[in-house]
Amino acid sequence: MYILQAIDIHKNFGSLGVLHGVTLQVQKGEVIAIIGPSGSGKSTLLRCLNHLERIDSGRIEIEGETIAQNNSEGQAVYSSEAKITQARRKMGMVFQNFNLFPHKSVMENLIMAPTRVKNMDKAEAEESARLLLAKVGLSQKADNYPFELSGGQQQRVAIARALAMNPDIMCFDEPTSALDPELTGEVLMVMKDLALEDMTMVVVTHEIGFAREVADRVIFMDEGVIMEEGQAEEVLLNPRQERTSAFLSKVLMAR
Amino acid sequence: MDYIIMLLPSMLKGLTVTLKLFSITLVMALPLGVIMGMARISSFSPLRWFMEFYVWLFRGTPLLLQLLFMYFGLMTLGLRPEREMAAYLAFVLNYSAYLAEIFRAGIQSIDRGQYEAADVLGLSRYQTMKNIILPQVFKRVLPPIGNEVINLVKDTALVYVLAISELSRVARTHVMRDDTFIPFLIAAIFYLMMTGMVQRFFKWLELRYDYFH
Ligand SMILES: Nc1ncnc2c1ncn2[C@@H]1O[C@H](COP(=O)(O)OP(=O)(O)O)[C@@H](O)[C@H]1O
Ligand SMILES: [Mg+2]
Repeated sequence: MYILQAIDIHKNFGSLGVLHGVTLQVQKGEVIAIIGPSGSGKSTLLRCLNHLERIDSGRIEIEGETIAQNNSEGQAVYSSEAKITQARRKMGMVFQNFNLFPHKSVMENLIMAPTRVKNMDKAEAEESARLLLAKVGLSQKADNYPFELSGGQQQRVAIARALAMNPDIMCFDEPTSALDPELTGEVLMVMKDLALEDMTMVVVTHEIGFAREVADRVIFMDEGVIMEEGQAEEVLLNPRQERTSAFLSKVLMAR
Repeated sequence: MDYIIMLLPSMLKGLTVTLKLFSITLVMALPLGVIMGMARISSFSPLRWFMEFYVWLFRGTPLLLQLLFMYFGLMTLGLRPEREMAAYLAFVLNYSAYLAEIFRAGIQSIDRGQYEAADVLGLSRYQTMKNIILPQVFKRVLPPIGNEVINLVKDTALVYVLAISELSRVARTHVMRDDTFIPFLIAAIFYLMMTGMVQRFFKWLELRYDYFH
């Protein structure tokens, strides 16, 4: 039983084909790392799962609910708006550029969605927000504004904000790529803690060390297809594909 | 001195007329500008095209002409517009067009990531606009809006073409009757006081919005 399935996903931007039949099946509690060169379609895949982009063909299922599936002509047809909204609530997303709301304090960032989308009581939302801030090590920053925080702190707030909606699946799109190297550790630490709590995670990353340590499965994408996938150790240490090892040595060289 | 005191009542009356036009225009054109600014980038293309045409029309012709057109145009249509009414209408329509452009640019300057973050959190489009986008837009558009409001103070003088006795027209009447330019000086002082207040108010607003970057 998969918590998230994306089967044979095709996605084009106009005449540009970006995903050419990608299949991703995620089990509850699994941590999946997606690696691959820039432009290979990793972000697009995540964005399709989150419904930030619409797929052209394929099937998406979240916790057993079908979000999109092919019609007889092989074109993806989406389910009702209500069903999609329901399913999306189960997914959290963390962006490369954090995308915190700059005009809202850290606390306001965290309680925005719970109070407005889930109609949670403000006091109750604040209480669970405080727990989340403690979890990401930012209890002291509740009343600060995003611009007053370092990049690493902002990203941790972004993670807490996503967690505030109590998602079952967390997607991360290169969460440390916009950070100075000395700040990536604190973000990866928070993600590692999440993984230890059995959060289901799909992480696009160039942090090979993190992938090796935390991911159950590693997927190598190139030019819109999955070139190779398997146990983290297997793919990262003994890649079967030429392309995978070429990519890995490039990434490791760059460090 | 006595002359100035004697002038004041009618000058103040002119000032009220000016202030009334100023306030009505602002109160109507600001919200209209926000709505039109959003309509200008709506995904519904006929609305977008209409707004583009509207903005082109009202920014592309002199306000003076629009005033005359509004008054004599409505008259030809068999309506008997009050001169003030025609003035308010022209000003509101004209300033809405300018403000719409400012709001449009402001809305478009907000990073797409803000919409996406709100979207994945489940906020509706309305909630996103109201709670996430527009508050950030307001901060960014304060300086250009401030400019427009100062322009508005001075543009009010244009309604003299409809023989409305606003501040500058009253001054001119006195100048011609009494053969002195003192009324002009007084009018200038009044305008400077108004634009000065607008400037200070916007400075205060910008400070108030300084709590985020
Ligand atoms: N909104 C878009 N419109 C057009 N092309 C896009 C868009 N988003 C991504 N692309 C293109 O799709 C390809 C894959 O992009 P992306 O998924 O961001 O790759 P990755 O995350 O692996 O670097 C790239 O060629 C990119 O230019
Ligand atoms: Mg990417």
